[in-house]
Amino acid sequence: MNDPRYDRLAQLITGYSLELQAGQIVRIDGSLAGSPLLVALYGEAVRRGAHAYVNAQVSELAEYLIAEGSEAQLDYVSPVEYQEMETVDALIRIWSDANTRSMTGVDPDRQRRRLAARRELTALFFDRVAKSEVRWCGALSPTNAHAQDAEMSLAEYEDFVFSACHVADEGDAAAHWREVSDELHARARDLSSCSSLRIVGPDTDLTVSPEGRTWLVADGKQNMPDGEVFTSPVEHATEGEIRFSFPALFQGREIEDVRLRFEGGRVVEAEAARGGEYLNSILDVDDEARYLGEVAFGLNYEIDRFTRNILFDEKIGGTMHVALGAGFGKAGGENKSALHWDLICDLREEGEVYADGELVWKAGSFLQTPELEHV
Amino acid sequence: MSDERLGRLADVLVDYSTSVREGDRVLIEAPELATPLVLELYRRALAAGAFPTTRVSPAGLSEIFYREASDEQLDWLSPIRVAEMEDADVRIAIEGPTNTRGLTSVDPARVARYSRTTEPVANRSLERAAAGELRWALSAFPTDASAQDAAMSLREYEDFVYRACFLDDGDPIERWQRFGEHVEAVAAFLDQKSELRVVAEDTDLTLGVAGRTWIPCRGHENFPDGEVFTGPVETSVEGTIRFTFPAVFNRRAVDDVMLRFAGGEVVEATASRGQELLEQMLGMDEGARRLGEFAFGLNPAISTFTRNILFDEKIGGTIHMALGTGYPESGSLNRSALHWDMICDLRGSSEVYADGELVYRDGAFLNGLTS
Repeated sequence: MNDPRYDRLAQLITGYSLELQAGQIVRIDGSLAGSPLLVALYGEAVRRGAHAYVNAQVSELAEYLIAEGSEAQLDYVSPVEYQEMETVDALIRIWSDANTRSMTGVDPDRQRRRLAARRELTALFFDRVAKSEVRWCGALSPTNAHAQDAEMSLAEYEDFVFSACHVADEGDAAAHWREVSDELHARARDLSSCSSLRIVGPDTDLTVSPEGRTWLVADGKQNMPDGEVFTSPVEHATEGEIRFSFPALFQGREIEDVRLRFEGGRVVEAEAARGGEYLNSILDVDDEARYLGEVAFGLNYEIDRFTRNILFDEKIGGTMHVALGAGFGKAGGENKSALHWDLICDLREEGEVYADGELVWKAGSFLQTPELEHV
Repeated sequence: MSDERLGRLADVLVDYSTSVREGDRVLIEAPELATPLVLELYRRALAAGAFPTTRVSPAGLSEIFYREASDEQLDWLSPIRVAEMEDADVRIAIEGPTNTRGLTSVDPARVARYSRTTEPVANRSLERAAAGELRWALSAFPTDASAQDAAMSLREYEDFVYRACFLDDGDPIERWQRFGEHVEAVAAFLDQKSELRVVAEDTDLTLGVAGRTWIPCRGHENFPDGEVFTGPVETSVEGTIRFTFPAVFNRRAVDDVMLRFAGGEVVEATASRGQELLEQMLGMDEGARRLGEFAFGLNPAISTFTRNILFDEKIGGTIHMALGTGYPESGSLNRSALHWDMICDLRGSSEVYADGELVYRDGAFLNGLTS
């Protein structure tokens, strides 16, 4: 039987997130493992009068290309793909792995070469996103592989994903996300006057400065689910130490119990219970990899557990995350790095956050509801 | 367990049918069930030094489109589709249906409307192929849905498909080369003829082929293959024909079709079932009432009707003709959004005369033109 939650999620993405209009060209990307959602999205896009097409990937092909392709083949990007990136009005990216570790064994140099070949294409696309010429949204279609990473059955994981997107029942999901959006915008306004944030928790006492930076909201337009406010902190102002209770994931590998100490914005000490050497090699990607590019509050309380997928983990209600490496230009961030690595800190048990010395957050939530502005 | 015949199918498609070479831009199109064959084709295209891209479709999209699209959507031709067809040096399209009857209840007028929309792409592909700019091949990956249409188990159907492709042979490519010589000999023979007359039960049809070219089909554009076809002179067809096999269009069958031609045009068309679809298709446009193709099926390894035109039209001992658009390389001038093949079994009591001389009887050519 058709699971109506796929249709609801598809309605939410094509409606609330992308506001697809009749006559717009929309490409729906995803692997075949995500077919149920790809087909549901196609249906919703057609019903909205859009010109939709599904660009389904066979996951094994990327593996073959990297393993067996010549350099010319690794470097090749079809001119048709450039034309697509110039032509589409909207792009939906569905993450849906049949095996989240299938690329573990590939040669990293050859993988980097392939990524580099596609960089111009990606840049072209995000340039159009920045100019509001094209909209995009990324979401996930549940598979056993993702469920396995989350230590759940597929049925449990489907419940988890659809709850996180607020499409588990028949309520008006778009109305819910509009409310979330209002709240997040209000929260961002409240935080905009703050010049110093101090995060206190177990083995954690970290001060970052968002002074002069812009708090941005992630309200379900470009990711579904969503739910965070974030900014890029002043690069040289971070001081203190932080311990990340959740494992840090980098390219499918886990580093456990990461502890970082910052001085003058820079990581001066990095330790882990497991994977410490790997941690330090990541920090050595470039000089800017040791500075923060992001600090954020995860505010989606329908995401209540760690599932080894950053799409969900960084939005867990009651957590904060910071990212080492590249910052966001739109937030005023100046750090440039090849790295942007999110690390999540659970503040639900004992965490406290002080804004300019005042306690604003305790045990996983803000103490005050932000004042909504109605315009 | 993986079927090694699948790898051989990919070998023949890449090395023989489309002769993929270093630097070729290869477009591989397939439904999701055919993924195992897509993987084999992709690896071989990589090994040949080509740049393969894949378009793999999840099942169920066309049903959504045909049921729910507005007229604006039915009339919209994707510029990306145009671009990718223009870009490709090689196009390999694979069939592999999940359900061959998913579109049964869709309004044929909507299907016809979208066919008209995509007609320029189809015509442009034929033009590029005729000009030698595009090599293409259509083939099939065996699925349960196709097996069901053929009234076989999947295992039996796999055997049928791979046998039709000569993949049981020790060296399939060599076998196709040899068979190709026979097909060429038949085409060369027919090239000298001006008029054909087909006589069988309820059938007496005459058509002119003077000045037209007989094209030998040796496994390059269709795989499996085995036919010779031409584009009959558009105004020359006279008489009646009764098609012994159901005429299948977009997987919908019209039974027991009888057509009467005068001056090349269908002037009477009846069917025991599916009359409405038959008339709708004939009314699609001007060219839909005239023949764009006439052909002899020559593949000795295909002997049963399986409701799939890729195989059926090549059954050794049959003829088929298509209403609608013809192939430019055959000299056909007929253009239409339709191309509908209908097959007539001549393995029973039948005769074909060329310029008055008996050249074919009961499903086989005379004059030493046997395979």
